[in-house]
Amino acid sequence: MESGGPAKEPPRTSPLTSLLTLQDITVRGRSQPRLDRVSLQLKPGERLALLGPSGAGKSTLLAVANGLLEPDQGQVLWQGEPRARGARARRRQQARIGTLWQDLRLIEELTVQQNLNAARLAAWGWPRALLNLLLPLDTSACAAVLQRLDLDPALLNQPVSALSGGQRQRVALARLLRQEPLLLLADEPLASLDPRLAADLLTLLLELASPPRALLLSLHRPDLLAGFDRVVGLRAGRLVFDQPSTSLHPAQLEELYAGSEEP
Amino acid sequence: MRPAAPLWVLLPALVLVPVLALLPGISHGGGWELVGQFAAAALRPSLDPLVLGSVLGGLAVTAGIALLGWAGSLALGLVLGIASSRVVWRSCCGSAAPAGWIRRLLALPRSIHELLWGLLLLQLVGLQPAVAVVAIAIPFGALVARVVSDLLDALPTANLEALRCGGAPAPAALLTALGPPLLPQVISYSGYRLECALRSATLLGVFGLGGLGTELRLTLQSLAFPELWTGLWLLLAVMLLLEALLGWLRRRWAMPARLGLRQRAVGRQGREMVAAGLVLLPLLGAVAWGLEVRPAALLQWQGLPPLGPADWGAVAALPWPLLIGNTLLLTLTAAALAVGLAPLLLLLVQPWPAGGWLVRGLWALGRLWPPPLTALLLLFVLQPGVLTGALALGFHNLGILGRLLLEASETSGVAEQQALGAAGTGPRLALLYGRFSGLARPYLAYGAYRADVILRESVVVGLVGATGLGSQLLEALSSFAGDQLLALVLAYALLTLLGEDLSDRARLWLLETPHGDGHPQEAGGTWR
Repeated sequence: MESGGPAKEPPRTSPLTSLLTLQDITVRGRSQPRLDRVSLQLKPGERLALLGPSGAGKSTLLAVANGLLEPDQGQVLWQGEPRARGARARRRQQARIGTLWQDLRLIEELTVQQNLNAARLAAWGWPRALLNLLLPLDTSACAAVLQRLDLDPALLNQPVSALSGGQRQRVALARLLRQEPLLLLADEPLASLDPRLAADLLTLLLELASPPRALLLSLHRPDLLAGFDRVVGLRAGRLVFDQPSTSLHPAQLEELYAGSEEP
Repeated sequence: MRPAAPLWVLLPALVLVPVLALLPGISHGGGWELVGQFAAAALRPSLDPLVLGSVLGGLAVTAGIALLGWAGSLALGLVLGIASSRVVWRSCCGSAAPAGWIRRLLALPRSIHELLWGLLLLQLVGLQPAVAVVAIAIPFGALVARVVSDLLDALPTANLEALRCGGAPAPAALLTALGPPLLPQVISYSGYRLECALRSATLLGVFGLGGLGTELRLTLQSLAFPELWTGLWLLLAVMLLLEALLGWLRRRWAMPARLGLRQRAVGRQGREMVAAGLVLLPLLGAVAWGLEVRPAALLQWQGLPPLGPADWGAVAALPWPLLIGNTLLLTLTAAALAVGLAPLLLLLVQPWPAGGWLVRGLWALGRLWPPPLTALLLLFVLQPGVLTGALALGFHNLGILGRLLLEASETSGVAEQQALGAAGTGPRLALLYGRFSGLARPYLAYGAYRADVILRESVVVGLVGATGLGSQLLEALSSFAGDQLLALVLAYALLTLLGEDLSDRARLWLLETPHGDGHPQEAGGTWR
C-alpha cells in the first residue's frame, strides 16, 4: 500500500465494523491479574493511545492483541470473527498486525533489505525465504519503504549492525510498512528517545496510521496525546477510562497515575 | 552473492547429498533383522539381578576411572598451565620465551588421543586400572594446560602491574591479581572436562581397559541386546544426572557458559566451591582405593615381546597418501554431518514441542554412545570403510554439538524470533531467521574446533577397517610392529597439530566481527 497500490485483498470490513475487539479479557498473573476483564474495540483508521503507570498491563494488552499471549478468559475478535484456532489461519491473521518493538528486534547479522523482507516471511514459502538469504529480493519495494521514511536506498545492502541508532529506528518502521499491516501496535516506542526524535517518530507513526490502518500505541507521556482519536487508561490491569482524547480531564490523569512517580 | 548468516549454519548439511547417494552402495542389507532386534530391545532391557549387578559394577569402575583421570588432568593441567603462561614467566623472570617452549612441548601429548595413550600404556605395563586413569590424565592434562595458560594470558593485567609497582613479589602479586578472575572460568571449564572424562572412560572400556565399556562391547558382539540396553540406559541416566548437576552448579555459581554469547557475572559462592573441593579429595582417595589403583605398579614395565629390527623400508612403503586422505575425508564428513544435522533437526521438529524432547533424547544417546560401538552396530548393515566410520563419529559429535546449539539458542535471539512469530512467520522460519542469525558465527566456530577434535578421535573408529591412519595404527599395535607404530603416531600427531592450527585460524576468522559491535570474542579458550 505504501509503495503505491492499495491492499491486494478488498477490505472485508466496512469502516463501521471493528478491526480488533477484546471482550472481557483476563490474563492471570502471580498475585493479581495482569489484565482484569478488559474490553476494547478498535475501528479501522482509529488512533488509540494507551496510558497507565508501569505494571498497569499495557504490554500485556499489546501481547494479547498481536497474538503472542493467549488470554486466560475472554475473546479476541479480528475483523469481527473469533481469532483463528488453527496455526496457519492464525498466522495469516497475525501477518496483518504489525508491532513496533521498543528494542526494535532487528536482526543484526542480516542486511537492511533482508530485514525488510523478513516482514514478508509469513506470506513467503521456504524457497523464497532461503533465496532472500542469498540474493537481494524485491529491491524496488524495499527501496520504496526506505524512501517513504527519508532513508537512503543505498542502505539496503548494509548490515543492520552498521547502522546508527536513528537509522535503526527508521528501518524498524520501514519493516513495519513492508509487512503491510492493518493494525499497528507500538509498545512505548518513545520511551528511550530524546524529545525531538520522539516527536518526529510520533508524527511518523500517526501519519502511517491512515485509514484503513489503525494504531494502538502505549505511552508514558500524556503531553503527546494531540494526534490521537481516543485514549484508554489502564491501572492495575483494569480499564479506567476509554474516551476521545479531547475530552480527557487532567484530574483523570492524576487519578490514573496516583501513587506512582510517573506524570 | 554472499550467503547470509543463517544459511551458513545449514550449508554443512549439504554433505547429506553425497552421503545418502553413497549409502546404498555400501549397504549389504544382511543385518536389518539384527538392527530391528537391537532397537526393539531398547524397550525391554534385561532386569536380571545378575546382569544388573555386573552392569552396576562396570559403571562404578567407569565412573571411578573418569573421576580419577579427570582429577589427575586438572592437577597436571593447572601446574603445566601456569608453567606455560606468558604472563607468569614475564612477571617472575622477565622473559616470556620459556612459556612458548613448554607450550610447544605440550602439543605432543595433547595431539595423541587418550585411546592411543591407553593402548600404548597397556603394552608397557599390562592391564591394570591405573592405565585408563593415566591415559585420560595425560592428554586431558595437556589440554587443560593450554586452556589455563590461554585464559591466564587473556586476563587484563592492570591490577597485576599496580601490585608489582607497589613492590609486591611476583608470586603473591600473580595470585592476588589473576587468581580470583581465573578461578570461576577454570572451574566452569573443568566441569565440562568431567563430562568428557566420563565419555572417554566408557570408550576406553570398549577397547578392553576395564569398566562398563567392556561389557557393552561384549554384549553387542554376542548379540545380547537386552543386556546391552541395561548398560546403555544406566549409563544414560548417570550421564544426564552429571550434566544436570554440573549445569545446576554453573548456574548457581554464575559461571560462564561454554558457547557463551553473553559473559555472565563472576561467581561469588567461594565457600561452597571450597567445600565442594574438600568433599572431592577424600572421595578421590576412596575411589582410588576401591579401584585398586597402584601408582607404583605403573613403574613395573612388563617384558615386551622381542621387537624385530626396524624395517623402515616397509614403513615408507605404507600407502601414506591414501591413509592420510582417508583420515581427512573421514574427519570432514563426520564434522559436516554433526555440524549440519544439529540445526537441521532442530528446524524440522520446531513446530512440535514433543519433537524437541525427541531430538534431545537422540542427542543424549549419541553423546553417551562410544563411536566404536555405533560403528560395530552399523557393520550389521553397512560395509566397513570411511563412510561407516564417519557416520559413527558424526552421530557421537552430533550429540555434543546439538546440546550446545540448544543451550545457546535458549538465550540468543529469543526476542527476534518472537517478533517474527508475532508477525505471522511460521515457527521454522522464525527459528532460522531469528535465532540462527546470531548463533551462526559462534556455532560454526565451535564446529571448527570440533572438527579438530574429530580428527584426533578418528582413531577410535579404526576398528571398522579402512578408515585411514586409525585402522592402520590399530593393526600395527596388535601386530607389535614398533617401527610402523612410531611412524603412524608421529604422522597422526603432526596431522592433528596442523588441523589444530587450521581450526584455530577458522575460528578466529569466524569470530572476527565485521563491525565491532556484534558478538564478543570472549571464551576463545574455554571451548576446548
